[in-house]
Amino acid sequence: MTELEHDQEWRRLDLRMLLVHPVNEVVRFLPFLIGLFVLGSGGQDGGPWHYLGVAVPVAIGVVRFASTRFRITGAQIELRRGVLGREIRTARLDRVRTVELTASPIHRVLRLEKVKIGTGSTEDGTLELDSLGTVEAARLRRELLDRAGAVHPAEGGSADAEVLVRFDPGWARFAPLTTSGLVVAVAALGAATGPFLGSNLELRLADASVVEQVRNVALPAVVVLGGITLLLIASTLGIVGYLLANWNFTLTRDVAQRTFHVHRGALTTRSTSIDLDRLRGVEIHEPLGLRVAGGGRLTAIATGFARRSDENTAPLVPAAPLAVVRAVAGAVIGEEPGSPGTFHQHGPQARRRRYLRAVLPALLAPVALGLAAAAGDWPWTLAGAAVLVPVAAAALARDRYARLGHALTSSHVLVRWGSLRGRTDVLQRSGIIGWNLRQTYFQRRAGLVSLTATTAAGQQAYEILDVREDVAVGFAAAAVPGLVEQFVR
Amino acid sequence: MVEPTGVLRDPANLVSTRAPYLWRLGALTRSLVLGAGAGLAELLWDVDVPLWLWAGYAAAALGYVTVMPQFRYRVHRWETTGTAVYTQSGWLTRERRIAPMSRVQTVDFEQSAVARAFGLASVTVTTASAAGPLRIDDLDVAVAQQLVDELTRRAEAEHGDAT
Repeated sequence: MTELEHDQEWRRLDLRMLLVHPVNEVVRFLPFLIGLFVLGSGGQDGGPWHYLGVAVPVAIGVVRFASTRFRITGAQIELRRGVLGREIRTARLDRVRTVELTASPIHRVLRLEKVKIGTGSTEDGTLELDSLGTVEAARLRRELLDRAGAVHPAEGGSADAEVLVRFDPGWARFAPLTTSGLVVAVAALGAATGPFLGSNLELRLADASVVEQVRNVALPAVVVLGGITLLLIASTLGIVGYLLANWNFTLTRDVAQRTFHVHRGALTTRSTSIDLDRLRGVEIHEPLGLRVAGGGRLTAIATGFARRSDENTAPLVPAAPLAVVRAVAGAVIGEEPGSPGTFHQHGPQARRRRYLRAVLPALLAPVALGLAAAAGDWPWTLAGAAVLVPVAAAALARDRYARLGHALTSSHVLVRWGSLRGRTDVLQRSGIIGWNLRQTYFQRRAGLVSLTATTAAGQQAYEILDVREDVAVGFAAAAVPGLVEQFVR
Repeated sequence: MVEPTGVLRDPANLVSTRAPYLWRLGALTRSLVLGAGAGLAELLWDVDVPLWLWAGYAAAALGYVTVMPQFRYRVHRWETTGTAVYTQSGWLTRERRIAPMSRVQTVDFEQSAVARAFGLASVTVTTASAAGPLRIDDLDVAVAQQLVDELTRRAEAEHGDAT
């Protein structure tokens, strides 16, 4: 049978996928099952419902297995499913941007992988196959990416794959400093404490003399100790989350297929492939916390990921030392991602705007509290402490201005901005598909403009904030020759 | 270092001379609806809106209805060349957008019922970026139709998937 004949046959999901959902259900009911065996009594609430809880997913799985088929014909992949309502989705192979393989622990035991195919044409332009056998999944991925590349010789194999970065468990020290680490920690804390809030246990605690005793200890000590404990718990959870998600993180470049592969995950493994032709640049994330510790993160600017959603942008390096991040960024885009000296600053007007915009609103706090204190019913100490707010705002403004910069290299546009969520965006000049120049009334008076490069990838728009109008036009003209010149006065 | 080359000029073409009338009608409707809503609230819930507030609102609304359309008419401009589309919009905040013809994906023609009565239509040019639609509001229908034809023809002449 020739390759073409094989392609045109309808293929099915792997039969083992039938086990995935029931196993999931069994795991969910595990506490109940354990209770059943250990305590010897299943409680009074009806047993049949729990069997239903296993039977329904099995039935759904059977229907899904029986009704889902896919095939690759000459130029497109076709996916059909549904028994009564038929759904047929097709995607042109040359529009396939990304292929992601995911395997939860259950998938891994069964040697299965979920295949997600991103076409980037619309928001829901993802075809999902849950699940294929690992070999079949890898083969499908190779087929898809080969076709997407089209001009490249097939079957390059993974022999000439070049490893760009390999995970170092020591990087976990950066985890508590990332916002995602914090979110994970807060979510976990919420999940852990949620059931106790408002329960009898909490009420009993509230009644107890403990509260009385706590009151006797100096309040600051309690606050500080509580804060430290919370910080420790949050850090630990952040680190655990980081390790689970990024264990074994490897970024490789497949030279023959012109593809980047990202593989990661301790329990659930995830491997994403990005076609080099779809790559439009990289974002170096340097949020304040990471920056202070000398770390950063790297994500890809690529077409084919769901628009404006962070979880779907492809990570190229998780939180790691900045030197590693910059080295990988350089290897991915093929040139130095801008040393601090290469950036042009935006000038005194932009600096003034940073300070005004940060400090003016922040002044409200001490002024309002001061007025309240003058009226007599608020303590002056509070107003005094609130003076720190505009001071912090000024420090923020200073940092925001210091980081604000733009630069142009032979093939990329570099934009550095932000403090708390600081980032350096490195965008291919050939990936720019338009310019927006936006001026508020105040910007116009200051002779400044916000220049936005639009692109089909990543955030869709990359903004150079508060740059002098003539500089902005010169920059746009130099970055994409032959476009804006014709409209210059 | 990039040499400053100068600043952008305004796009060459104004929109239809009838557009300000449409905008004025819209502004008037919005002002009246808001005023009527406040009046209704005053009756229903017995709120006492002081007379000076009414007077202030009336003055502001009058200013908005008279000044805004003229102002906008001078700002809203557009231009196409062999290689690019250039638009300018807004009135207090001004936004200029430039897209190369080779990246144009769709050219849309839109006409609301009211715009139809005025003989006006809007043209929207999109690129592959979610951040970049170029909208030209309220052109003469004939001008809009001609523009759509022309842009569609030119965009078709370009190759590639425009990303």
